[in-house]
Amino acid sequence: RRGVSFRLQALRVCSGRHPCAVCCPATMLNRVTRLVPRARQLDPGRFLHGGPQGPQGLAVHLDDRVPDETPRAGSRPSEDDPAGAGEQREDRHYRIPLQDLPTVFAHGLPQYQHYVCQVKTFHEACLLVRRPALELLRHLDGTNFAHPAVRYVLYGEKGTGKTLSLCHVIHFCAKRDWLVVHVPDAHLWVKSCRGLLRSAYNRQRFDQPVEASSWLKSFKTANERFLSQIKIQETYMWNKRESTEKGRPLGEVVEQGLTRVKNATDAVGIVLKELKSQSCSGAFRLLVAVDGVNALWGKTTLKREDKSLMAPEELALVHSLRKMVRNDWHGGAVVLALSQTGSLFTPRMAYLPQELLGKEGFDALDPFVPVLVSNYSPEEFERCIQYYLENSWLQHEKAHTEEGKKELLFLSDANPGQLERLCAYL
Amino acid sequence: MNAVSHRFRTLRSLSAVSRHSLRLTQVRWSRYSPEYRDPQTDKEYYRKPLAELTEEEKCEQELRKTQLIKAAPAAKTSSVFEDPVISKFINMMMKGGNKVLARSLMTQTLEAVKRKQFEKYHAASAEEQATIERNPYTIFHQALKNCEPVIGLVPILRGGHFYQVPVPLPARRRRFLAMKWMLTECREKKHRRTLMPEKLSHELLEAFHNQGPVIKKKHDMHKMAEANRALAHYRWW
Repeated sequence: RRGVSFRLQALRVCSGRHPCAVCCPATMLNRVTRLVPRARQLDPGRFLHGGPQGPQGLAVHLDDRVPDETPRAGSRPSEDDPAGAGEQREDRHYRIPLQDLPTVFAHGLPQYQHYVCQVKTFHEACLLVRRPALELLRHLDGTNFAHPAVRYVLYGEKGTGKTLSLCHVIHFCAKRDWLVVHVPDAHLWVKSCRGLLRSAYNRQRFDQPVEASSWLKSFKTANERFLSQIKIQETYMWNKRESTEKGRPLGEVVEQGLTRVKNATDAVGIVLKELKSQSCSGAFRLLVAVDGVNALWGKTTLKREDKSLMAPEELALVHSLRKMVRNDWHGGAVVLALSQTGSLFTPRMAYLPQELLGKEGFDALDPFVPVLVSNYSPEEFERCIQYYLENSWLQHEKAHTEEGKKELLFLSDANPGQLERLCAYL
Repeated sequence: MNAVSHRFRTLRSLSAVSRHSLRLTQVRWSRYSPEYRDPQTDKEYYRKPLAELTEEEKCEQELRKTQLIKAAPAAKTSSVFEDPVISKFINMMMKGGNKVLARSLMTQTLEAVKRKQFEKYHAASAEEQATIERNPYTIFHQALKNCEPVIGLVPILRGGHFYQVPVPLPARRRRFLAMKWMLTECREKKHRRTLMPEKLSHELLEAFHNQGPVIKKKHDMHKMAEANRALAHYRWW
């Protein structure tokens, strides 16, 4: 199978079964599901109370609403616990409670404004539970935290739902009290950045104060409670007068990055380093979620002072994120999503990991668990149309008929993104 | 429908002497000669089983097998969602042949109208929710219908002067004027940095509620026609 190699030394439970894993990752996943015991005690889902202020674009209309938690009968399912006290069923719409939105979407999903608009219009955030996300959740449930972190890569064609599957996983882990390090779009770090500075820590690298400080702000909103619990293990000198001593809470490093924007990139690097080293101790579980991870090994459009193009490794943010995505730590998991949409200098029809990551990226991420996200199955398509009809989103009188549904299926080819665009004006 | 009238316009004679002579001239040139029939894109027409057809329909179907038929234009589809009014509006919005852009602006406008109405719906109380219309297509059609003038003015030459004479307008002229006024209002009277979907959705919603500058323009036209009432006898058709 072109470009998808599969050596899983991390999952020692499957030693000796590698040849079949290489040829068919899907059956490999099924096999892993059977081998890893599912008798783990599920934590009761606890609602995370979001910070007092959410991101402006999202929570403005939603703050005053009391979320309706009761599951409704009939074809209007709304399970609010992502793992559920039992099987979480496929082809159901699962609703994220509105209180959790500022934490889950703290970064505001910059690359998927359509979904943000939909959440604002419907006054609820619903995700369709699909097989790739369910498989990922089952694997994350059964993670062995003594083993090195497993990397899961969501890949698929444009508009199939990789970003929203990632959001589903993030919400699942946030509900389970994992610490989530979420980079909503790594492409934004390698293009159109203003205010590049030479890094003080390493003269060869460049700082990006604006991107780093905005990321730190969202990180703080999402993981407020952990920042006071985690203590740093080294002293960091910012300059001659300012320093953060060993044993201070991580929140102080974040504050330093936010107040002194010049040190924001270094603050990000420190935060990532500390989280990585301390996740092994077992105080918390770490989930690293990066969307558009192919940006880390692609090309940039940023120029140095002498107008020559920069390589991504010369950016300090990219460098620290690359170290985070390695599997030399344990106590958590890494979920990545590829994206061609915002990427630079990649062909439009490319979607496989080998094509988007390139040789360097593929070797860096190898071994990983690939998760294919494909178009809707007939049941999922039907479910999605039902959801739109229940919300009265499909207003055209012909859209309610069989002819209309057949035409929507034909025009969108069961692609979730295309279906959403079509239903927006019907 | 009279196939002659929309392709030919009668040359209205301007002097009282040759009042009744009508000469036909080509207004819009067509590469098709008159024996070509219009294409039938309605799926239901072809799906009718043979038993249900009347004599005329059977005859017509036989004729279509041998007669020449024009090629269907690219914008005319057999889609269930197709609307001739919307297609006409898109054509009028199009500049430089950029139909893709015009169509995308139209879809964004419909989406904007829908989202605004949904916002109002969620903010309203239960009684008001029943009165709020959320279908962008009904809003569009109703808005244009509200903007159509009933009576128009036509310049007629009498005794060396042109007089604005009130005249009943045919249906297609009324639809055209409504769409033209809507587009002109959005293009020229708004701030240049606002996007077309935003402007157009705002104007459509105002016209739907019988308010706004386009409705005002229609009322101005009616008032001028009322003021020039005395000249109505200059019309001879």
